[in-house]
Amino acid sequence: MDSNKQPTAMKKTTNFLLSLYHNQYLRFVLFGLLLACLPQLAKMKLIKTGVVTTMAQILIYAIAALGLNLLLGYSGLISLGTAGFMGLGAYVAAYFYGDLQLSFWIALLAAVAIPTLIGTLVGLTSLRISGFYLAIATLCVSEILLKTFQQATDLTGGTSGKNISYPVIFDIAFKRDTMYLLLVVALVLVMMLTWNLVNGQFGRAMHAMRGSEVAAQAMGVSLLKYRLLVFAIATAYAGLSGALYVFFVKGTYPTTWVLNLSLNILAAVVIGGVRSIYGTVLGVFVVWGVSDLFLNNIPFFRQNPQISFIVNGVLIILVVMFYPNGLGKLPSDLKAGLSRLLGGRKKPGIPNKEER
Amino acid sequence: MSTILQLIFRSLETCSIYALAALGIIIIYRTSLITHFAQGSMAMFNTFVVTWFFTSFSMPLWASVLAGIISAIFTGFLVDFLVIRHTKKVSPVGKQIITLGLIIVFLGLAPMFFGVATLQLPRFIPSGEVVVGGAAISYNAILNISLGLVIMLVLFYVLHKTKLGLAIRATASNEQTARLMGVPTQSVTMMAWAVAGVLGVLSGVMIAPATSVSVWLMNPVQISALFACVLGGFQTFYGPVLGAYILGIARNFLTYYVSSVWGEQIMYILLLIFLLFRPNGIVGKKYSKKV
Repeated sequence: MDSNKQPTAMKKTTNFLLSLYHNQYLRFVLFGLLLACLPQLAKMKLIKTGVVTTMAQILIYAIAALGLNLLLGYSGLISLGTAGFMGLGAYVAAYFYGDLQLSFWIALLAAVAIPTLIGTLVGLTSLRISGFYLAIATLCVSEILLKTFQQATDLTGGTSGKNISYPVIFDIAFKRDTMYLLLVVALVLVMMLTWNLVNGQFGRAMHAMRGSEVAAQAMGVSLLKYRLLVFAIATAYAGLSGALYVFFVKGTYPTTWVLNLSLNILAAVVIGGVRSIYGTVLGVFVVWGVSDLFLNNIPFFRQNPQISFIVNGVLIILVVMFYPNGLGKLPSDLKAGLSRLLGGRKKPGIPNKEER
Repeated sequence: MSTILQLIFRSLETCSIYALAALGIIIIYRTSLITHFAQGSMAMFNTFVVTWFFTSFSMPLWASVLAGIISAIFTGFLVDFLVIRHTKKVSPVGKQIITLGLIIVFLGLAPMFFGVATLQLPRFIPSGEVVVGGAAISYNAILNISLGLVIMLVLFYVLHKTKLGLAIRATASNEQTARLMGVPTQSVTMMAWAVAGVLGVLSGVMIAPATSVSVWLMNPVQISALFACVLGGFQTFYGPVLGAYILGIARNFLTYYVSSVWGEQIMYILLLIFLLFRPNGIVGKKYSKKV
């Protein structure tokens, strides 16, 4: 009796553990916990405090990059306005929190809502025409916003920038380390939200559009509606990312929100791999982390800071030309290559949920 | 009356700059089917070359511009040879992303070669103006306007009357069929990139005296040129030129008569509204998509 029950109990626990292992939400939480350890490591002097700042920056940009990834990966649209919308989010948050003395949550909400509203209006006019008009329209919006940041001195402080203090949330005065934890939480939540979006009805519609626009239309998927929706989501992410930036850096200057940033975020998405959530975060790490954490220790790269920027550009071109799925595809490709190398028969691959 | 004339004179100069840049974009679009976002940054890089020759070697301006043109041809060849030629199988979105990657490369290369300090480039004709109907127009503006017109006329003559133009138009309408008909499409595309580069550097040299030579030199020109293409439609060569002139004149009138701060923004919004009604631009044709 006992000997019979033991395996089933074992099986149950292993099944349970396996289901935990395959539970995407848990993976995201684990990923977040790993990231959350960094300030502790810094306190124990295992890593430099500069690493935490760089990582915080990566977390912030990763949120905007996830939005662009949805846009580029699922609808094939390019936005060159990421930096502009991030900047708008940052300035709105700084204005609502700093000047109007409103609560953190209202400032955050406004910082997401206002860019989304403007993004929707831009999308509404440009997306009706043809896909690539969005890139041109957002490029223009980004320039207009940049000009506004510089010229509307009453609201934005002009070229001398705008400064605020760390936020107070639920009567807790946030500091640098707690702010970092907030960034981790925000990124994990955004990753979960993105995963839900991609695997829900919205994701299926987007997949259908990607396969064939005409066929998707025949199935009742409204191209304009979904394109608009995905662009709105991308701008909302950008606004959120900008707001978090301003609360972490405690200030914002117009020179941050230039085309370079939009291009770098695009580089992160392309290098990391379109339609891959972890790949995007990895891409952001490659674009910002590698140069800040590793290359800057080498004198040659320290003297020529442009090199890492150029490398990003070259990487984009190379990835698009030779490895269109980006680094996100690397693990599964390596696995396949390895099993082929070991002479094993190629097993019929079970597509995992993320790729399906 | 004299104010209006003055506004038109001032517009015409920027118009020809936008038109040259727009022509560069449209030539690439028609031969390689790429929305050439890097036109501006390539032009910026080559304008830096001109400025570098002018300030570091104190060469005369015309010789520096010649050097810039040669470097533009060279960069055009190089970009096509190293990158564009190998992107036959890349999706249209991928090609756009490649030009965005090119922007990053040129934005990074320029400060590396030429430093981060902003430089100045003088006008071709430093001073002097004529007064027509109470409105003044500088000799340099006349030179820029006429130079722009001459280049455009030569280009249109080449495109429509010569064998070379026929080859370009054949490649533009269908690359594969053109190749089957014996058109050396690879060389045509390569030349298109060189021509686009030259048009870019000329527009850069023309706009540079009005501002300073920095990495952001061509941003306004690039955006206006792209919008000129949108306004004129991507299907013809003369549409973008028309678009550039309308855009340039409209901008100056709006900033003068409506609002000096918001005039440009109002123009772009009007443009977006216009596109709602005529999505393919002024002279654009609509092609039906095949399943």
